[in-house]
Amino acid sequence: MSTVVNFENLWCVFEHRSGQLVHALEDVNFRVDPGEFVCVVGRSGHGKTTLLRVLAGLQPPTAGAVKLGDTAVTGPGSDRAMVFQQDTVFPWLHVKENVEFGLRANKLPEDERNEITNYWLQAVGLEEFADSWPRELSGGMRKRVALASAMAVGSDVVLMDEPFGSLDYFTRRNLHEVLLNLWFETKKTIFFVTHDIEEALILADRVILLAEGKLVDDIAVTLPRPRNEDVRATPEAVGIFKLILAHLGITEEEATQA
Amino acid sequence: MTTTDTDTLDVRAAAHRQKRRRQIAYVLYLILGIILSLLMWQLVAAPFSPLFYLVPPPFDAFRHFGENLMFSERMLERYVHACPDLLDELELTGGGMFDLPDHCFGYIRHIMRTTRNIMIAVTLGTVFGLTVGLSSLVFPRIADVVTPIAGFFGTTPIFIAAPFFVIWFGIEYPLMTTVGVVVFYTTLLMYFFSRRAADNIPVGIIESALTLGGDRGSIFRWVYLPGTIPEIAGGFRIALAGAWGLGTLVEVLGIQMGGGFLIRMWSFAMGVLEGPAAVVSLILFFGVLAVVVDGILVLFIRYITRWSESGRKLGL
Repeated sequence: MSTVVNFENLWCVFEHRSGQLVHALEDVNFRVDPGEFVCVVGRSGHGKTTLLRVLAGLQPPTAGAVKLGDTAVTGPGSDRAMVFQQDTVFPWLHVKENVEFGLRANKLPEDERNEITNYWLQAVGLEEFADSWPRELSGGMRKRVALASAMAVGSDVVLMDEPFGSLDYFTRRNLHEVLLNLWFETKKTIFFVTHDIEEALILADRVILLAEGKLVDDIAVTLPRPRNEDVRATPEAVGIFKLILAHLGITEEEATQA
Repeated sequence: MTTTDTDTLDVRAAAHRQKRRRQIAYVLYLILGIILSLLMWQLVAAPFSPLFYLVPPPFDAFRHFGENLMFSERMLERYVHACPDLLDELELTGGGMFDLPDHCFGYIRHIMRTTRNIMIAVTLGTVFGLTVGLSSLVFPRIADVVTPIAGFFGTTPIFIAAPFFVIWFGIEYPLMTTVGVVVFYTTLLMYFFSRRAADNIPVGIIESALTLGGDRGSIFRWVYLPGTIPEIAGGFRIALAGAWGLGTLVEVLGIQMGGGFLIRMWSFAMGVLEGPAAVVSLILFFGVLAVVVDGILVLFIRYITRWSESGRKLGL
Protein backbone atom coordinates (compact mmCIF):
# COMPACT_ATOMS: atom_id res chain seq x y z
CA MET A 1 0.00 0.00 0.00
CA SER A 2 2.17 2.84 -1.18
CA THR A 3 0.01 5.20 -3.18
CA VAL A 4 0.10 8.81 -2.09
CA VAL A 5 -2.88 10.85 -3.28
CA ASN A 6 -2.20 14.49 -4.12
CA PHE A 7 -4.78 17.14 -4.85
CA GLU A 8 -2.92 19.93 -6.63
CA ASN A 9 -4.56 23.31 -7.25
CA LEU A 10 -7.80 21.57 -8.08
CA TRP A 11 -10.58 23.62 -9.65
CA CYS A 12 -13.89 22.39 -10.89
CA VAL A 13 -16.21 24.94 -12.42
CA PHE A 14 -19.63 24.24 -13.97
CA GLU A 15 -21.69 26.52 -16.14
CA HIS A 16 -25.27 26.84 -15.00
CA ARG A 17 -28.05 26.97 -17.62
CA SER A 18 -28.43 30.67 -16.86
CA GLY A 19 -24.79 31.15 -17.89
CA GLN A 20 -23.64 31.69 -14.32
CA LEU A 21 -20.44 29.90 -13.30
CA VAL A 22 -20.66 27.60 -10.28
CA HIS A 23 -17.36 26.96 -8.49
CA ALA A 24 -17.77 23.43 -7.15
CA LEU A 25 -14.10 23.25 -6.16
CA GLU A 26 -11.75 26.18 -5.74
CA ASP A 27 -8.02 25.69 -5.57
CA VAL A 28 -8.10 22.59 -3.38
CA ASN A 29 -4.69 21.37 -2.23
CA PHE A 30 -3.94 18.50 0.13
CA ARG A 31 -2.06 15.26 0.32
CA VAL A 32 -3.20 11.94 1.70
CA ASP A 33 -0.69 9.33 2.81
CA PRO A 34 -1.16 5.61 2.20
CA GLY A 35 -3.53 3.86 4.62
CA GLU A 36 -5.19 7.00 5.93
CA PHE A 37 -8.92 7.12 6.61
CA VAL A 38 -10.04 10.54 5.41
CA CYS A 39 -13.54 11.88 5.85
CA VAL A 40 -14.60 14.75 3.63
CA VAL A 41 -17.21 16.77 5.47
CA GLY A 42 -19.31 19.71 4.36
CA ARG A 43 -22.82 20.92 3.72
CA SER A 44 -24.81 19.67 0.77
CA GLY A 45 -23.71 21.25 -2.51
CA HIS A 46 -20.34 22.40 -1.19
CA GLY A 47 -18.18 20.17 -3.37
CA LYS A 48 -17.74 16.92 -1.42
CA THR A 49 -19.09 14.61 -4.09
CA THR A 50 -17.38 16.55 -6.88
CA LEU A 51 -14.06 16.09 -5.10
CA LEU A 52 -14.64 12.34 -4.93
CA ARG A 53 -15.84 12.12 -8.54
CA VAL A 54 -12.71 13.91 -9.75
CA LEU A 55 -10.59 11.46 -7.79
CA ALA A 56 -12.62 8.56 -9.23
CA GLY A 57 -12.00 9.91 -12.75
CA LEU A 58 -15.73 10.34 -13.39
CA GLN A 59 -15.43 14.13 -13.56
CA PRO A 60 -12.54 15.93 -15.27
CA PRO A 61 -11.17 18.91 -13.35
CA THR A 62 -11.34 22.39 -14.88
CA ALA A 63 -7.81 23.09 -13.68
CA GLY A 64 -5.22 21.40 -11.50
CA ALA A 65 -4.88 17.69 -11.03
CA VAL A 66 -5.36 14.72 -8.75
CA LYS A 67 -2.34 12.46 -8.72
CA LEU A 68 -1.92 8.91 -7.53
CA GLY A 69 1.80 8.80 -6.87
CA ASP A 70 3.18 10.61 -9.90
CA THR A 71 0.33 9.72 -12.23
CA ALA A 72 -2.49 12.17 -12.86
CA VAL A 73 -6.02 10.75 -12.81
CA THR A 74 -7.50 10.91 -16.30
CA GLY A 75 -10.39 8.46 -16.05
CA PRO A 76 -12.00 5.79 -13.91
CA GLY A 77 -10.10 2.64 -13.02
CA SER A 78 -10.08 -0.27 -10.64
CA ASP A 79 -7.22 1.31 -8.67
CA ARG A 80 -9.90 3.62 -7.17
CA ALA A 81 -13.00 1.48 -6.57
CA MET A 82 -15.99 3.46 -5.40
CA VAL A 83 -19.03 2.75 -3.21
CA PHE A 84 -21.90 5.04 -4.14
CA GLN A 85 -24.66 6.64 -2.12
CA GLN A 86 -27.36 5.05 -4.27
CA ASP A 87 -27.85 1.31 -4.66
CA THR A 88 -25.42 0.27 -7.42
CA VAL A 89 -25.39 -3.47 -6.85
CA PHE A 90 -26.11 -5.23 -10.15
CA PRO A 91 -29.59 -6.71 -9.61
CA TRP A 92 -29.18 -9.32 -12.37
CA LEU A 93 -26.07 -10.88 -10.81
CA HIS A 94 -26.02 -13.14 -7.77
CA VAL A 95 -24.27 -11.75 -4.70
CA LYS A 96 -21.12 -13.75 -5.49
CA GLU A 97 -21.08 -12.59 -9.12
CA ASN A 98 -21.44 -9.00 -7.95
CA VAL A 99 -18.34 -9.28 -5.77
CA GLU A 100 -16.59 -11.04 -8.64
CA PHE A 101 -17.43 -8.32 -11.19
CA GLY A 102 -14.25 -6.27 -10.91
CA LEU A 103 -12.10 -9.39 -10.85
CA ARG A 104 -13.71 -10.68 -14.06
CA ALA A 105 -13.38 -7.26 -15.67
CA ASN A 106 -9.70 -7.34 -14.78
CA LYS A 107 -9.45 -10.84 -16.29
CA LEU A 108 -8.29 -12.76 -13.23
CA PRO A 109 -8.25 -16.56 -13.57
CA GLU A 110 -11.30 -18.36 -12.21
CA ASP A 111 -9.55 -20.06 -9.29
CA GLU A 112 -8.11 -16.80 -8.08
CA ARG A 113 -11.45 -15.06 -8.54
CA ASN A 114 -13.24 -17.69 -6.44
CA GLU A 115 -10.68 -17.48 -3.68
CA ILE A 116 -10.79 -13.68 -3.47
CA THR A 117 -14.59 -13.54 -3.74
CA ASN A 118 -15.11 -16.12 -0.99
CA TYR A 119 -12.66 -14.26 1.25
CA TRP A 120 -14.49 -10.93 0.90
CA LEU A 121 -17.93 -12.47 1.22
CA GLN A 122 -16.79 -13.95 4.51
CA ALA A 123 -15.21 -10.65 5.55
CA VAL A 124 -18.53 -8.81 5.20
CA GLY A 125 -20.54 -11.73 6.66
CA LEU A 126 -22.41 -12.67 3.49
CA GLU A 127 -20.96 -16.10 2.72
CA GLU A 128 -24.38 -17.71 3.30
CA PHE A 129 -25.96 -15.38 0.76
CA ALA A 130 -23.46 -15.97 -2.05
CA ASP A 131 -26.12 -17.44 -4.34
CA SER A 132 -28.89 -14.98 -3.44
CA TRP A 133 -30.27 -12.31 -5.72
CA PRO A 134 -29.75 -8.73 -4.47
CA ARG A 135 -33.55 -8.28 -4.29
CA GLU A 136 -33.56 -10.91 -1.53
CA LEU A 137 -31.24 -8.81 0.65
CA SER A 138 -31.92 -5.87 2.95
CA GLY A 139 -30.53 -2.38 2.21
CA GLY A 140 -27.71 -2.90 4.68
CA MET A 141 -26.76 -6.26 3.17
CA ARG A 142 -26.69 -4.73 -0.32
CA LYS A 143 -24.30 -2.08 0.99
CA ARG A 144 -22.08 -4.89 2.26
CA VAL A 145 -22.12 -6.39 -1.23
CA ALA A 146 -21.06 -3.04 -2.69
CA LEU A 147 -18.34 -2.75 -0.05
CA ALA A 148 -17.07 -6.29 -0.72
CA SER A 149 -17.05 -5.60 -4.49
CA ALA A 150 -14.96 -2.45 -3.99
CA MET A 151 -12.56 -4.15 -1.59
CA ALA A 152 -12.21 -7.32 -3.67
CA VAL A 153 -10.99 -5.50 -6.77
CA GLY A 154 -7.72 -4.91 -4.94
CA SER A 155 -7.34 -1.17 -5.21
CA ASP A 156 -5.15 0.73 -2.78
CA VAL A 157 -7.68 3.55 -2.63
CA VAL A 158 -11.36 3.10 -1.85
CA LEU A 159 -13.82 5.95 -2.37
CA MET A 160 -17.11 6.11 -0.50
CA ASP A 161 -19.75 8.72 -1.27
CA GLU A 162 -22.16 8.89 1.68
CA PRO A 163 -22.57 5.13 1.37
CA PHE A 164 -24.61 4.64 4.52
CA GLY A 165 -26.70 7.80 4.23
CA SER A 166 -29.94 6.02 3.42
CA LEU A 167 -29.67 3.40 6.17
CA ASP A 168 -31.18 3.39 9.65
CA TYR A 169 -29.02 4.18 12.70
CA PHE A 170 -28.44 0.59 13.83
CA THR A 171 -27.54 -0.70 10.38
CA ARG A 172 -25.23 2.26 9.89
CA ARG A 173 -23.42 1.60 13.17
CA ASN A 174 -23.05 -2.04 12.25
CA LEU A 175 -21.58 -1.12 8.87
CA HIS A 176 -19.17 1.35 10.52
CA GLU A 177 -17.78 -1.59 12.47
CA VAL A 178 -17.55 -3.79 9.37
CA LEU A 179 -15.79 -1.01 7.45
CA LEU A 180 -13.33 -0.22 10.25
CA ASN A 181 -12.45 -3.90 10.64
CA LEU A 182 -11.76 -4.16 6.91
CA TRP A 183 -9.67 -1.01 7.03
CA PHE A 184 -7.61 -2.21 10.00
CA GLU A 185 -7.02 -5.46 8.17
CA THR A 186 -6.14 -4.05 4.74
CA LYS A 187 -4.88 -0.55 5.55
CA LYS A 188 -6.26 0.75 2.28
CA THR A 189 -6.58 4.50 1.86
CA ILE A 190 -10.23 5.41 2.32
CA PHE A 191 -11.95 8.62 1.23
CA PHE A 192 -15.32 8.80 2.91
CA VAL A 193 -17.71 11.62 2.07
CA THR A 194 -20.31 12.44 4.70
CA HIS A 195 -22.29 15.35 6.05
CA ASP A 196 -22.67 13.56 9.39
CA ILE A 197 -20.03 14.95 11.77
CA GLU A 198 -20.55 12.13 14.26
CA GLU A 199 -19.93 9.56 11.54
CA ALA A 200 -16.71 11.36 10.63
CA LEU A 201 -15.59 11.30 14.26
CA ILE A 202 -16.25 7.56 14.52
CA LEU A 203 -14.34 6.72 11.36
CA ALA A 204 -11.69 9.24 10.40
CA ASP A 205 -8.00 9.81 10.96
CA ARG A 206 -8.44 13.14 9.25
CA VAL A 207 -11.38 15.36 8.46
CA ILE A 208 -11.16 17.52 5.36
CA LEU A 209 -13.66 20.34 5.64
CA LEU A 210 -15.12 21.83 2.50
CA ALA A 211 -17.23 24.98 2.41
CA GLU A 212 -18.37 26.54 -0.86
CA GLY A 213 -15.83 24.44 -2.73
CA LYS A 214 -12.87 25.60 -0.64
CA LEU A 215 -10.82 23.55 1.77
CA VAL A 216 -11.40 25.41 5.02
CA ASP A 217 -9.65 23.07 7.43
CA ASP A 218 -7.78 19.81 7.64
CA ILE A 219 -8.32 18.35 11.11
CA ALA A 220 -6.37 15.41 12.53
CA VAL A 221 -8.64 13.17 14.62
CA THR A 222 -6.43 11.53 17.19
CA LEU A 223 -9.16 10.07 19.39
CA PRO A 224 -8.46 6.52 20.60
CA ARG A 225 -10.25 3.64 18.87
CA PRO A 226 -12.79 2.11 19.16
CA ARG A 227 -14.64 5.41 19.29
CA ASN A 228 -17.65 4.47 21.37
CA GLU A 229 -20.06 6.90 23.05
CA ASP A 230 -17.64 7.51 25.94
CA VAL A 231 -14.81 8.49 23.61
CA ARG A 232 -17.12 10.76 21.61
CA ALA A 233 -18.15 12.47 24.85
CA THR A 234 -14.55 13.43 25.84
CA PRO A 235 -13.65 17.14 25.77
CA GLU A 236 -11.30 16.52 22.83
CA ALA A 237 -14.05 14.93 20.71
CA VAL A 238 -16.56 17.62 21.65
CA GLY A 239 -13.93 20.25 20.78
CA ILE A 240 -13.46 18.79 17.28
CA PHE A 241 -17.22 18.55 16.86
CA LYS A 242 -17.64 22.22 17.77
CA LEU A 243 -14.74 23.26 15.55
CA ILE A 244 -16.34 21.55 12.56
CA LEU A 245 -19.70 23.17 13.33
CA ALA A 246 -18.05 26.57 13.53
CA HIS A 247 -16.29 26.09 10.19
CA LEU A 248 -19.52 25.05 8.54
CA GLY A 249 -21.30 28.06 10.02
CA ILE A 250 -23.75 25.94 11.98
CA THR A 251 -24.78 27.00 15.48
CA GLU A 252 -25.13 24.40 18.22
CA GLU A 253 -28.91 25.02 18.32
CA GLU A 254 -29.15 24.27 14.59
CA ALA A 255 -27.07 21.13 15.04
CA THR A 256 -29.30 19.95 17.90
CA GLN A 257 -32.43 20.56 15.84
CA ALA A 258 -30.92 18.69 12.86
CA MET B 1 -36.95 -11.78 23.06
CA THR B 2 -40.58 -12.72 22.54
CA THR B 3 -41.92 -16.24 22.60
CA THR B 4 -44.84 -17.61 20.67
CA ASP B 5 -46.81 -20.84 20.55
CA THR B 6 -47.21 -20.61 16.79
CA ASP B 7 -45.05 -23.14 15.05
CA THR B 8 -42.98 -21.86 12.10
CA LEU B 9 -44.32 -24.69 9.98
CA ASP B 10 -47.88 -23.60 10.75
CA VAL B 11 -47.09 -20.08 9.58
CA ARG B 12 -45.51 -21.45 6.40
CA ALA B 13 -48.49 -23.73 5.75
CA ALA B 14 -50.90 -20.83 6.31
CA ALA B 15 -48.95 -18.67 3.81
CA HIS B 16 -49.05 -21.55 1.34
CA ARG B 17 -52.82 -21.95 1.80
CA GLN B 18 -53.31 -18.22 1.30
CA LYS B 19 -51.29 -18.30 -1.91
CA ARG B 20 -53.27 -21.32 -3.16
CA ARG B 21 -56.57 -19.52 -2.36
CA ARG B 22 -55.41 -16.49 -4.39
CA GLN B 23 -54.53 -18.77 -7.34
CA ILE B 24 -57.90 -20.54 -7.19
CA ALA B 25 -59.72 -17.18 -6.98
CA TYR B 26 -57.78 -15.98 -10.03
CA VAL B 27 -58.85 -19.02 -12.07
CA LEU B 28 -62.47 -18.75 -10.89
CA TYR B 29 -62.69 -15.08 -11.86
CA LEU B 30 -61.13 -15.90 -15.21
CA ILE B 31 -63.76 -18.59 -15.88
CA LEU B 32 -66.49 -16.21 -14.69
CA GLY B 33 -65.21 -13.54 -17.10
CA ILE B 34 -65.24 -16.00 -20.02
CA ILE B 35 -68.78 -17.17 -19.16
CA LEU B 36 -70.02 -13.54 -18.92
CA SER B 37 -68.41 -12.71 -22.28
CA LEU B 38 -70.07 -15.72 -23.91
CA LEU B 39 -73.44 -14.73 -22.42
CA MET B 40 -73.05 -11.19 -23.77
CA TRP B 41 -72.09 -12.59 -27.15
CA GLN B 42 -75.15 -14.89 -27.10
CA LEU B 43 -77.35 -11.88 -26.26
CA VAL B 44 -75.92 -9.82 -29.13
CA ALA B 45 -76.51 -12.77 -31.50
CA ALA B 46 -80.07 -13.40 -30.27
CA PRO B 47 -82.97 -13.01 -32.79
CA PHE B 48 -84.21 -9.82 -31.10
CA SER B 49 -80.77 -8.16 -31.45
CA PRO B 50 -80.22 -5.62 -34.29
CA LEU B 51 -76.89 -7.40 -34.95
CA PHE B 52 -78.58 -10.78 -35.38
CA TYR B 53 -77.60 -11.09 -39.08
CA LEU B 54 -73.98 -10.03 -38.51
CA VAL B 55 -73.03 -11.81 -35.30
CA PRO B 56 -73.35 -15.60 -35.11
CA PRO B 57 -74.05 -17.32 -31.78
CA PRO B 58 -70.88 -18.59 -30.08
CA PHE B 59 -71.74 -22.22 -30.60
CA ASP B 60 -72.16 -21.70 -34.40
CA ALA B 61 -68.75 -20.02 -34.59
CA PHE B 62 -67.02 -22.79 -32.64
CA ARG B 63 -68.79 -25.51 -34.64
CA HIS B 64 -67.87 -23.87 -37.95
CA PHE B 65 -64.24 -23.62 -36.94
CA GLY B 66 -64.11 -27.23 -35.76
CA GLU B 67 -65.78 -28.56 -38.90
CA ASN B 68 -63.51 -26.65 -41.28
CA LEU B 69 -60.23 -26.89 -39.46
CA MET B 70 -58.81 -30.02 -41.11
CA PHE B 71 -60.99 -30.26 -44.23
CA SER B 72 -63.50 -27.72 -45.53
CA GLU B 73 -66.11 -28.81 -48.04
CA ARG B 74 -66.86 -25.15 -48.75
CA MET B 75 -63.24 -24.41 -49.62
CA LEU B 76 -63.18 -27.28 -52.05
CA GLU B 77 -66.39 -25.95 -53.64
CA ARG B 78 -64.77 -22.54 -53.97
CA TYR B 79 -61.52 -23.96 -55.38
CA VAL B 80 -59.61 -22.60 -52.40
CA HIS B 81 -56.69 -24.76 -51.34
CA ALA B 82 -53.46 -24.39 -49.45
CA CYS B 83 -51.17 -26.65 -51.48
CA PRO B 84 -49.92 -24.51 -54.37
CA ASP B 85 -46.93 -26.73 -55.09
CA LEU B 86 -49.14 -29.79 -55.27
CA LEU B 87 -51.46 -28.02 -57.68
CA ASP B 88 -48.55 -27.20 -60.02
CA GLU B 89 -47.62 -30.85 -59.93
CA LEU B 90 -51.19 -31.89 -60.66
CA GLU B 91 -51.38 -29.49 -63.60
CA LEU B 92 -48.21 -31.00 -65.02
CA THR B 93 -49.59 -34.50 -64.65
CA GLY B 94 -53.00 -33.45 -65.93
CA GLY B 95 -54.80 -33.96 -62.61
CA GLY B 96 -57.49 -31.62 -61.24
CA MET B 97 -58.43 -29.75 -58.07
CA PHE B 98 -60.54 -32.65 -56.82
CA ASP B 99 -57.51 -34.95 -57.03
CA LEU B 100 -55.75 -32.96 -54.30
CA PRO B 101 -55.58 -34.67 -50.89
CA ASP B 102 -58.08 -33.57 -48.17
CA HIS B 103 -55.48 -31.82 -46.06
CA CYS B 104 -55.08 -29.17 -48.77
CA PHE B 105 -58.60 -27.92 -48.02
CA GLY B 106 -58.62 -26.97 -44.38
CA TYR B 107 -58.15 -23.82 -42.32
CA ILE B 108 -55.24 -25.39 -40.53
CA ARG B 109 -52.72 -25.00 -43.35
CA HIS B 110 -53.66 -21.34 -43.87
CA ILE B 111 -53.42 -20.63 -40.16
CA MET B 112 -50.08 -22.40 -39.95
CA ARG B 113 -48.82 -20.35 -42.89
CA THR B 114 -49.79 -17.11 -41.15
CA THR B 115 -48.22 -18.27 -37.89
CA ARG B 116 -45.00 -19.29 -39.66
CA ASN B 117 -44.74 -15.96 -41.51
CA ILE B 118 -45.30 -13.95 -38.37
CA MET B 119 -42.76 -15.95 -36.39
CA ILE B 120 -40.14 -15.61 -39.13
CA ALA B 121 -40.84 -11.88 -39.45
CA VAL B 122 -40.82 -11.13 -35.73
CA THR B 123 -37.60 -13.10 -35.29
CA LEU B 124 -35.88 -11.29 -38.17
CA GLY B 125 -37.16 -7.88 -37.02
CA THR B 126 -36.03 -8.56 -33.46
CA VAL B 127 -32.57 -9.63 -34.63
CA PHE B 128 -32.21 -6.55 -36.87
CA GLY B 129 -33.62 -4.11 -34.30
CA LEU B 130 -31.60 -5.46 -31.40
CA THR B 131 -28.39 -5.75 -33.41
CA VAL B 132 -28.55 -2.11 -34.42
CA GLY B 133 -29.92 -0.91 -31.07
CA LEU B 134 -27.41 -2.75 -28.91
CA SER B 135 -24.48 -2.05 -31.25
CA SER B 136 -25.27 1.64 -30.93
CA LEU B 137 -24.53 1.36 -27.21
CA VAL B 138 -20.97 0.30 -27.98
CA PHE B 139 -20.59 2.58 -31.02
CA PRO B 140 -22.66 5.72 -30.32
CA ARG B 141 -22.12 6.98 -33.90
CA ILE B 142 -24.56 4.28 -35.08
CA ALA B 143 -27.27 5.87 -32.96
CA ASP B 144 -26.43 9.31 -34.38
CA VAL B 145 -27.06 7.99 -37.89
CA VAL B 146 -29.94 5.58 -37.27
CA THR B 147 -32.08 7.40 -34.68
CA PRO B 148 -33.24 10.28 -36.94
CA ILE B 149 -34.14 7.87 -39.75
CA ALA B 150 -35.86 5.42 -37.41
CA GLY B 151 -37.62 8.36 -35.76
CA PHE B 152 -38.97 9.48 -39.14
CA PHE B 153 -40.26 6.03 -40.11
CA GLY B 154 -41.34 5.29 -36.56
CA THR B 155 -43.82 8.15 -36.68
CA THR B 156 -45.42 6.72 -39.84
CA PRO B 157 -48.42 4.68 -38.70
CA ILE B 158 -47.67 1.13 -39.80
CA PHE B 159 -51.27 0.54 -40.86
CA ILE B 160 -50.78 3.29 -43.46
CA ALA B 161 -47.49 1.78 -44.65
CA ALA B 162 -48.90 -1.77 -44.88
CA PRO B 163 -50.86 -1.34 -48.17
CA PHE B 164 -47.71 -0.04 -49.86
CA PHE B 165 -45.89 -3.25 -49.03
CA VAL B 166 -48.70 -5.17 -50.70
CA ILE B 167 -48.28 -2.99 -53.80
CA TRP B 168 -44.47 -3.21 -53.80
CA PHE B 169 -44.12 -6.94 -53.33
CA GLY B 170 -47.40 -7.86 -54.99
CA ILE B 171 -49.75 -10.62 -54.00
CA GLU B 172 -47.67 -13.32 -55.69
CA TYR B 173 -45.07 -13.23 -52.92
CA PRO B 174 -47.08 -13.54 -49.73
CA LEU B 175 -44.06 -14.43 -47.62
CA MET B 176 -42.16 -11.35 -48.79
CA THR B 177 -45.12 -9.05 -48.24
CA THR B 178 -46.19 -10.27 -44.79
CA VAL B 179 -42.63 -10.66 -43.61
CA GLY B 180 -41.66 -7.29 -45.09
CA VAL B 181 -44.33 -5.37 -43.19
CA VAL B 182 -43.82 -7.17 -39.90
CA VAL B 183 -40.01 -7.02 -40.11
CA PHE B 184 -40.20 -3.27 -40.78
CA TYR B 185 -42.51 -2.75 -37.80
CA THR B 186 -40.63 -5.07 -35.44
CA THR B 187 -37.19 -3.69 -36.36
CA LEU B 188 -38.24 -0.13 -35.53
CA LEU B 189 -39.94 -1.16 -32.31
CA MET B 190 -37.04 -3.28 -31.07
CA TYR B 191 -34.52 -0.57 -31.96
CA PHE B 192 -36.37 2.00 -29.89
CA PHE B 193 -36.97 -0.40 -27.00
CA SER B 194 -33.31 -1.45 -26.82
CA ARG B 195 -32.21 2.20 -26.80
CA ARG B 196 -34.76 3.13 -24.17
CA ALA B 197 -33.87 0.10 -22.04
CA ALA B 198 -30.21 1.14 -22.07
CA ASP B 199 -31.11 4.74 -21.21
CA ASN B 200 -33.07 3.50 -18.21
CA ILE B 201 -30.12 1.70 -16.63
CA PRO B 202 -29.15 3.99 -13.72
CA VAL B 203 -26.01 6.04 -14.41
CA GLY B 204 -24.73 5.03 -10.96
CA ILE B 205 -24.60 1.38 -12.02
CA ILE B 206 -22.53 2.20 -15.11
CA GLU B 207 -20.22 4.44 -13.07
CA SER B 208 -19.85 1.73 -10.44
CA ALA B 209 -18.88 -0.76 -13.16
CA LEU B 210 -16.31 1.74 -14.48
CA THR B 211 -14.70 2.23 -11.08
CA LEU B 212 -14.52 -1.56 -10.65
CA GLY B 213 -12.41 -1.76 -13.81
CA GLY B 214 -15.12 -2.42 -16.39
CA ASP B 215 -14.28 -1.47 -19.95
CA ARG B 216 -16.61 -0.99 -22.93
CA GLY B 217 -16.79 -4.72 -23.70
CA SER B 218 -17.32 -5.99 -20.17
CA ILE B 219 -19.90 -3.30 -19.37
CA PHE B 220 -21.79 -4.22 -22.56
CA ARG B 221 -21.73 -7.94 -21.71
CA TRP B 222 -22.42 -7.83 -17.97
CA VAL B 223 -24.34 -4.59 -17.53
CA TYR B 224 -26.15 -3.54 -20.70
CA LEU B 225 -27.12 -6.99 -22.02
CA PRO B 226 -28.68 -8.39 -18.82
CA GLY B 227 -29.92 -4.98 -17.61
CA THR B 228 -31.92 -4.29 -20.76
CA ILE B 229 -33.62 -7.70 -20.93
CA PRO B 230 -36.82 -6.81 -19.01
CA GLU B 231 -37.61 -3.78 -21.16
CA ILE B 232 -36.57 -5.47 -24.41
CA ALA B 233 -38.75 -8.45 -23.50
CA GLY B 234 -41.66 -6.07 -22.92
CA GLY B 235 -41.00 -4.55 -26.36
CA PHE B 236 -40.92 -8.01 -27.90
CA ARG B 237 -44.35 -8.78 -26.43
CA ILE B 238 -45.74 -5.57 -27.91
CA ALA B 239 -44.10 -6.32 -31.27
CA LEU B 240 -45.50 -9.86 -31.34
CA ALA B 241 -48.99 -8.74 -30.30
CA GLY B 242 -48.97 -6.12 -33.06
CA ALA B 243 -47.52 -8.59 -35.56
CA TRP B 244 -50.56 -10.91 -35.29
CA GLY B 245 -52.86 -8.08 -36.27
CA LEU B 246 -50.52 -6.64 -38.88
CA GLY B 247 -49.65 -9.98 -40.50
CA THR B 248 -53.31 -10.95 -40.78
CA LEU B 249 -54.23 -7.48 -42.07
CA VAL B 250 -51.68 -7.73 -44.89
CA GLU B 251 -53.25 -11.05 -45.91
CA VAL B 252 -56.71 -9.48 -45.81
CA LEU B 253 -55.41 -6.79 -48.19
CA GLY B 254 -54.66 -9.15 -51.05
CA ILE B 255 -52.51 -12.21 -50.36
CA GLN B 256 -53.96 -15.52 -51.60
CA MET B 257 -52.88 -17.53 -48.57
CA GLY B 258 -53.17 -17.42 -44.77
CA GLY B 259 -55.75 -16.73 -42.10
CA GLY B 260 -56.28 -13.16 -43.32
CA PHE B 261 -57.08 -14.47 -46.78
CA LEU B 262 -59.73 -16.80 -45.27
CA ILE B 263 -61.30 -13.85 -43.44
CA ARG B 264 -61.41 -11.89 -46.72
CA MET B 265 -62.86 -14.86 -48.60
CA TRP B 266 -65.68 -15.30 -46.10
CA SER B 267 -66.31 -11.57 -45.80
CA PHE B 268 -67.74 -11.74 -49.33
CA ALA B 269 -70.27 -14.25 -48.05
CA MET B 270 -71.48 -12.33 -44.99
CA GLY B 271 -75.06 -12.54 -46.27
CA VAL B 272 -74.84 -16.31 -46.32
CA LEU B 273 -75.68 -18.02 -43.05
CA GLU B 274 -72.17 -19.45 -42.65
CA GLY B 275 -70.24 -16.26 -43.53
CA PRO B 276 -70.41 -14.42 -40.18
CA ALA B 277 -69.65 -17.61 -38.26
CA ALA B 278 -66.53 -18.16 -40.38
CA VAL B 279 -65.22 -14.59 -40.03
CA VAL B 280 -65.92 -14.39 -36.30
CA SER B 281 -64.43 -17.82 -35.61
CA LEU B 282 -61.24 -16.96 -37.50
CA ILE B 283 -60.83 -13.62 -35.77
CA LEU B 284 -61.49 -15.28 -32.44
CA PHE B 285 -58.99 -18.02 -33.18
CA PHE B 286 -56.21 -15.53 -33.92
CA GLY B 287 -57.10 -13.66 -30.74
CA VAL B 288 -56.86 -16.82 -28.66
CA LEU B 289 -53.65 -17.89 -30.42
CA ALA B 290 -52.05 -14.50 -29.68
CA VAL B 291 -53.08 -14.71 -26.01
CA VAL B 292 -51.74 -18.27 -25.62
CA VAL B 293 -48.40 -17.41 -27.28
CA ASP B 294 -48.17 -14.28 -25.12
CA GLY B 295 -48.87 -16.34 -21.98
CA ILE B 296 -46.06 -18.76 -22.81
CA LEU B 297 -43.80 -15.80 -23.55
CA VAL B 298 -44.61 -14.19 -20.20
CA LEU B 299 -43.60 -17.35 -18.34
CA PHE B 300 -40.33 -17.48 -20.28
CA ILE B 301 -39.62 -13.78 -19.69
CA ARG B 302 -40.33 -14.15 -15.98
CA TYR B 303 -37.86 -17.01 -15.86
CA ILE B 304 -35.04 -15.13 -17.57
CA THR B 305 -35.69 -12.03 -15.46
CA ARG B 306 -36.07 -13.99 -12.23
CA TRP B 307 -33.65 -11.60 -10.57
CA SER B 308 -36.30 -8.89 -10.81
CA GLU B 309 -39.66 -8.37 -9.16
CA SER B 310 -41.39 -10.68 -11.66
CA GLY B 311 -39.06 -13.45 -10.53
CA ARG B 312 -40.19 -12.94 -6.96
CA LYS B 313 -43.82 -13.31 -8.06
CA LEU B 314 -42.98 -16.65 -9.66
CA GLY B 315 -41.24 -17.74 -6.46
CA LEU B 316 -37.91 -18.21 -8.28
